[in-house]
Amino acid sequence: MSIRVLYGLVVVALTVAAAACDESLSDLTGPTPNLEPTLSSIQHEIFDTTDSSGRLACVTCHAPIGGRAAAAGMNLTAGNSYAALVGVSSIERPGVLRVVAGDPENSYLIHKLEGRPSIVGVRMPRGTGPFLTDGQILVIKRWIETGARND
Amino acid sequence: MTVSTFFTGAPRRRVLVFPVTFSVAVAAVVAVVALLMPAPALAQEDDPDRDLRLAQPDFTVITLPTTLRLPKFRSAFRVTHRFGRPLGAGDFGDLLEDFFGLDSGAQIGLEYRFGIFRGAQIGIHRTSDKTIEFFSQYSVLQQKDNGVIGLDAVATIEGTNNFKDSYTPSLGIVVSRELGEVGAIYVNPRWVNNSNPLPSELTDDNDTFFLGLGARIRIRPTVYVVGEFIPRVGYEPGVNHGTFGIEKRAGGHTFQLNFSNGFGTTMGQVARGGTASDDWYLGFSISRKFF
Repeated sequence: MSIRVLYGLVVVALTVAAAACDESLSDLTGPTPNLEPTLSSIQHEIFDTTDSSGRLACVTCHAPIGGRAAAAGMNLTAGNSYAALVGVSSIERPGVLRVVAGDPENSYLIHKLEGRPSIVGVRMPRGTGPFLTDGQILVIKRWIETGARND
Repeated sequence: MTVSTFFTGAPRRRVLVFPVTFSVAVAAVVAVVALLMPAPALAQEDDPDRDLRLAQPDFTVITLPTTLRLPKFRSAFRVTHRFGRPLGAGDFGDLLEDFFGLDSGAQIGLEYRFGIFRGAQIGIHRTSDKTIEFFSQYSVLQQKDNGVIGLDAVATIEGTNNFKDSYTPSLGIVVSRELGEVGAIYVNPRWVNNSNPLPSELTDDNDTFFLGLGARIRIRPTVYVVGEFIPRVGYEPGVNHGTFGIEKRAGGHTFQLNFSNGFGTTMGQVARGGTASDDWYLGFSISRKFF
């Protein structure tokens, strides 16, 4: 085998190997390594579960428990969260939708999770944190961006 | 050895003129090692790849590669600076006060390339944001042989965080057309994989295809104007990379002053585009051939 052929093969092999080295989603999502941009995954990893960082599950407040209404009238329990979020107007800021399918930047859910200045009330999850990590919020944004499907 | 003596070849006892960073010192050591390599055989002294090509005096235009061949077992070094101050910020007095951006921090790149066999070169380029790019280039066709174009195949692999995260390979070709001794024009179509640093689950486009367009025109016997524009499709944040400059060839050195709309010097950085369409930044490059 000539050195030129060997050189070409090495270059192609390295390129193919590097092309297979996409970033791992689990590296980005920190305390919820199984989080994926689907509603079922977000439901399980974010809404229903307090993660290893100590970030509270959303259903701690956003669920009708013991005769108490879900906070902000937003029931995030499994089977109810989609109807409570997508295309539904916020109570805090009427006219602003909680989730605008395909548009995470204009979705009030994201504003609340990021604690933007435009929100009414406090950043979520309520309290002093831990809040969702940037990676976790990116996954939720991606779910919204790809259509906020009930998947 | 100081940077000043390294570039001028002056005696080693020369007084230190400005501080030498560790990375510059490492690059200087690498270059010195290359200089101290055994002298080539007499037959290699006649290697036409060692001849000065007035139309293509250097291995890069500004960011894009040329089709200049690096002689076997010879090497070249390049340092790039892209200063962080937008030239349009404030009025001219502010700009002068910041000495046209030189007082600001800069993204610095250090590059070393080596000819591994005739027509083939490999190299490494590290930028101060801790990106390391390994590159390889092979001369497929030469214009002096076919009278029409020069053609090189190019491949790079870069990784952020000192080649520990976010790997971005690229493959492409460089087509050159020399215009006598007046200069040369270049077309560099290139596929850049994984240009988006996010996981593929969170992105629509994970690849960029760009068409690098470049030119170097000789306006004086040793002075050139250079320019590049790099339109993209696929993952294309920011603006398309654009840059122009003027350069002076002096023996084995090339001194280039350039203006760019971004800081990118690796193919992944170029694929990610410039910062904003109305921000331009001062930069310079100095290259040295060791042959």
